[in-house]
Amino acid sequence: MPEELAIRIENLSITYKVSLEAKRTLKNAVMRASLKQKERTRMIEAVKGLTLDVPHGSVLGIVGSNGAGKSTLMRCIAGILSPTEGRVIVNGKISTLLALGVGFNPALSGRDNIILGGLASGLNMEEIADKTDEIAAFAALPDGFIDLPVRTYSSGMYGRLSFAVAVSMTPDILLLDEALSAGDAAFKEKSFERMRELCAEARTIVIVSHALATVTDLCDTAIWMHKGALVAKGKPQEIVDDYLKFLNVGSLPSNYEDM
Amino acid sequence: MPVNEGFVPKIQVFEPHRASLPPLIPYIKEFWTRRAFATELARFSDKAEYLDSRLGKVWLVLNPLLLGLVYYLVVTIIRPGGTLPGMTRLDHLLIGLFTFYFAQNCVTAGALSITAGGRLILNQAFPRALLPFSCAIQSFQQFIPTIPVYIFVLVAGKWAYPTTIVPGWTWHFLWIPFILICAGITGFGLALVFATLNVYFRDTTKLLTYITRIWMYLSPVLWLPSSLRGNMKILLWVNPLGPVLSATSRVWVSGESLNKSTILGCILWAAAAMMIGGYFFISRERDFAIRI
Ligand SMILES: Nc1ncnc2c1ncn2[C@@H]1O[C@H](COP(=O)(O)OP(=O)(O)OP(=O)(O)O)[C@@H](O)[C@H]1O
Ligand SMILES: [Mg+2]
Repeated sequence: MPEELAIRIENLSITYKVSLEAKRTLKNAVMRASLKQKERTRMIEAVKGLTLDVPHGSVLGIVGSNGAGKSTLMRCIAGILSPTEGRVIVNGKISTLLALGVGFNPALSGRDNIILGGLASGLNMEEIADKTDEIAAFAALPDGFIDLPVRTYSSGMYGRLSFAVAVSMTPDILLLDEALSAGDAAFKEKSFERMRELCAEARTIVIVSHALATVTDLCDTAIWMHKGALVAKGKPQEIVDDYLKFLNVGSLPSNYEDM
Repeated sequence: MPVNEGFVPKIQVFEPHRASLPPLIPYIKEFWTRRAFATELARFSDKAEYLDSRLGKVWLVLNPLLLGLVYYLVVTIIRPGGTLPGMTRLDHLLIGLFTFYFAQNCVTAGALSITAGGRLILNQAFPRALLPFSCAIQSFQQFIPTIPVYIFVLVAGKWAYPTTIVPGWTWHFLWIPFILICAGITGFGLALVFATLNVYFRDTTKLLTYITRIWMYLSPVLWLPSSLRGNMKILLWVNPLGPVLSATSRVWVSGESLNKSTILGCILWAAAAMMIGGYFFISRERDFAIRI
């Protein structure tokens, strides 16, 4: 893979096999087996034959309607899901913020959760000890909430904390899925600034967002996914405009129809 | 260009693999570099569980002790007299029960760890075996305080019934760490099996409560390994904890050394549980994020 690439995705397909049974239990499985029935399943092609290169230091935005496969793609880049077909090559240390609320243990304080989050993402104890205060300061939770159990947090506070943890890992590649949706305006501004800093350090960011302004503001490239396939790639403003047009009209623009 | 930090391989390639093992060396390396995560998770889970109840911690010791006394009453009523003098039978039962619970906790807590790890698994890529491993550590930490309780009962029993056999200090006690390590590894290996099953079938843990109960009755805890006759002796070998619990009784209660077959039995079961559990779990763990 060329040196300047952070992520290379080659003809990637991801298929989910979902069970249509109400409950997946051993009891039902044994019952079915004794009646010689087959489990009812359905294949969902969440990502279909997607090819994409992301160079180092770029900020890629991904837009697309619900169920387009954006989160699935992000999970695959993070190494959480394995591809059904194709290949993903990642060059660099990844930090992720995929499902809001890092969600370790809600009974533990924010500070304890920072430590667990850091350890899970591969930092060692000293590195985390250095960073805990920095993270707490960045999240800037009101009134000493950092030492209260996470279950007492509002969703915005949750979001702040998880974002603070994700960006503090000094990742080479930062994957954000709807990460900024819960923060207030002030925190958003602060997060944008931090992300620009990361870009300036030649780190790569991939953002999935339904807030299209985020994509046009932050990204230097954008892609549009539809039903698992890549529809278009280009300048964020153009992609967003096309996507908006599609949302209003409800059909793909004619020049994309062959895709 | 990004700076290279830590041991994490710089270039990672993700390719399809279905029910086949990912490259094992990087997996184990990654597991090892993040072991602190498992130990801290164990410590924090413990803290979260007993945050608002001091009594909870006491209960951890009291519960197996009281159960031990109940079982003791039952077995002495069924078979008055028994074959051992004084309180020796109670000693055998207690240390067997404590060791059994250690392994059982590894299995039952570990079996839940993946389905309970929801967000963590959806958000981060790390060797998933760290979660059941953390449960094994926690189970061990909960086992430790039962040792002084055992010693207390031993001494009190000797004082009340002088015929009770109490071994003096012997070097054979050095087998104890070996026994505990084997019990822990066997429990961890089985936890991997049940944790995987539980991802696919959510009622596995329910089934597990019956399995563990039967498992205990088939283990040399309520009865003595020496009381088995003829073909029944096979029970000591087909049970993953059979050799470990026979060894427990021998070393803790009688202060004797282990014979070769018991040592081999302990090692073989630990290795088998790890290999089967490890294969079953690791070959499917990339699937977990989809299923939970
Ligand atoms: N765990 C899962 N099991 C089975 N199917 C899934 C699972 N997660 C997602 N899917 C399916 O995969 C497809 C893509 O989902 P995905 O979450 O990637 O979409 P998305 O683009 O992130 O949507 P959104 O904008 O709503 O977040 C959908 O059709 C969804 O039903
Ligand atoms: Mg999504």
